[in-house]
Amino acid sequence: MSVEALHTRYVDAPPDLRRIDVRGLCKTFQLAGAAIEAVRDVSFNVRRGEFVALLGPSGSGKSTVLNMIATLVKPTSGEILIDGTPVVPGQATPNVGYVFQRDTLFPWRTVADNIGYGLELAGIPVAERKERVRACLTQAGLQDFGNAYPPALSGGMRQRAALMRTLVVEPQVLLMDEPFGALDTHTKIDMHDVLLRIWEREKQTVLFVTHDLGEALTLADRIILFSARPGRIKETFEVDFARPRNAVKIRETPRYAELFQLIWHSLGEEFIRGRKP
Amino acid sequence: MRRARRPGRTFAWQALICVCLLSIWQWGYDLHGRLPWLVPDLLDPYFVSKPSDIFEHFLTLSCLKSKLGVFNGWFNGEFTRCMARSENNLWVATAITLKNTFFGFLTGVVSGFAAGLVLGRSDHLSAIFQPFITAVNSIPRIALAPIIVLAFGIGDTSKIVTSWIVVVFLVFFNTFEGARSIDEGFVNAARLLGASEWQITRTVVIPSTMAWVFASLTPAISFALIGVIVGEFIGAERGIGRLIIESEARAEASGMMVAVIVLMLVGVALSALIWRLQAYLLRWQQHNFAE
Repeated sequence: MSVEALHTRYVDAPPDLRRIDVRGLCKTFQLAGAAIEAVRDVSFNVRRGEFVALLGPSGSGKSTVLNMIATLVKPTSGEILIDGTPVVPGQATPNVGYVFQRDTLFPWRTVADNIGYGLELAGIPVAERKERVRACLTQAGLQDFGNAYPPALSGGMRQRAALMRTLVVEPQVLLMDEPFGALDTHTKIDMHDVLLRIWEREKQTVLFVTHDLGEALTLADRIILFSARPGRIKETFEVDFARPRNAVKIRETPRYAELFQLIWHSLGEEFIRGRKP
Repeated sequence: MRRARRPGRTFAWQALICVCLLSIWQWGYDLHGRLPWLVPDLLDPYFVSKPSDIFEHFLTLSCLKSKLGVFNGWFNGEFTRCMARSENNLWVATAITLKNTFFGFLTGVVSGFAAGLVLGRSDHLSAIFQPFITAVNSIPRIALAPIIVLAFGIGDTSKIVTSWIVVVFLVFFNTFEGARSIDEGFVNAARLLGASEWQITRTVVIPSTMAWVFASLTPAISFALIGVIVGEFIGAERGIGRLIIESEARAEASGMMVAVIVLMLVGVALSALIWRLQAYLLRWQQHNFAE
């Protein structure tokens, strides 16, 4: 397939199929008296059950975009709709789960109690809570660590637990901010398989921020490439690997190499631009 | 590698040190009389008493022995009569002081904790109250004790208030700092999982502040005890502080020493209680840094 075909094939979904709809999003931060334009006029939308990666060099505003969708950051201007309803800054949107860059497991709760936290907040009875937490522990391969406290776990185990804490309440939309950024390469690929298995079964709508091209290619249906600051959408790429995917095998295919090279070039330009003062 | 701890050995050393110190206290002054060139002129029993006298005095103050040096029988009613006769006997004094310490500590911890949480989580309120808190905190609180006794009388209330005022600031500042230094990541995680403000306070703010609060509780319990004793020095009918004042009036070093030793034991017991509570409530901290 030619390079051009990759760019043009994507057409915006009709409004009723859009789960996340972002229009004209801008964000300017005030830092020590200076105005820093982090995001400039970003518009895109994500279909139901689609896995979209926001890719870009650090400082390209992709995390800011995600945090605005998650209501953690208030946009300077623009609109964010989830299932057609505008989000309210500072107020959690129902059915939206968020996975942080660094794990924010509560160190004063055991792993099981961390995972069950969302259910506890929702007032789910203890028996059902236990059952669902046990299922999650098993799914994450943490069945022997339910009673451990997070600091005793390895980084990969902690991030799996953090993922389960978000997934246990069964959100339909999953916002992920470089969730595997702090892990080593092999643990990261393990996590990709864990995430792929879950997503292929549950088909949540995922918005996944990363600066790792390999990660974006492995996981996503579509990659939105951000330019260096101020963050704008530079290009959009369709990732047409068949599902179910295998995080290890996929990297060995010629198509992976082809796509990697294509996007790498464009991403590389932004890395270089972002480095300039 | 560090050598494994042997509890038996440690205890043996501790016992040996105790025996040595007590022996010097008991016989050191006699030895000075005989060998002045070897032992310095310290430990005059007139000022510091000595263990045997202190023990004797303990027996009389606690009504176990009569003033004539005979053991009070339990069954002949002598003990009960002695208890009734001496209004500020050691048992009553200890109970009163403990009770006032407990209430001073409790009210101080609860109010200090509550105020610290509220102000620690609100930039607006903490900005308003900042200068007042700094001003009041600059007063040596114990200097207020005479005023408090004047205002609240020589009963238990004035001791509880004195105790409260020294404890409350300590706990307040620690809670305040703890609430300020909460990792916002935890708060955001809770919020995005659907926690309400109250749920965030209960499940994130309070647990992550706990370590700070506990750091203040051991000093707080000693402070509470100090507050009560000072209050009793200034004016009280009963209590260990009163016992010390009475002994001082009679120039009885052994009486004062009995009171001081009882205070020490009370202090140790209360701290041990705090440690136990802390070990339970902060058990998650012991699992840190296991990697």
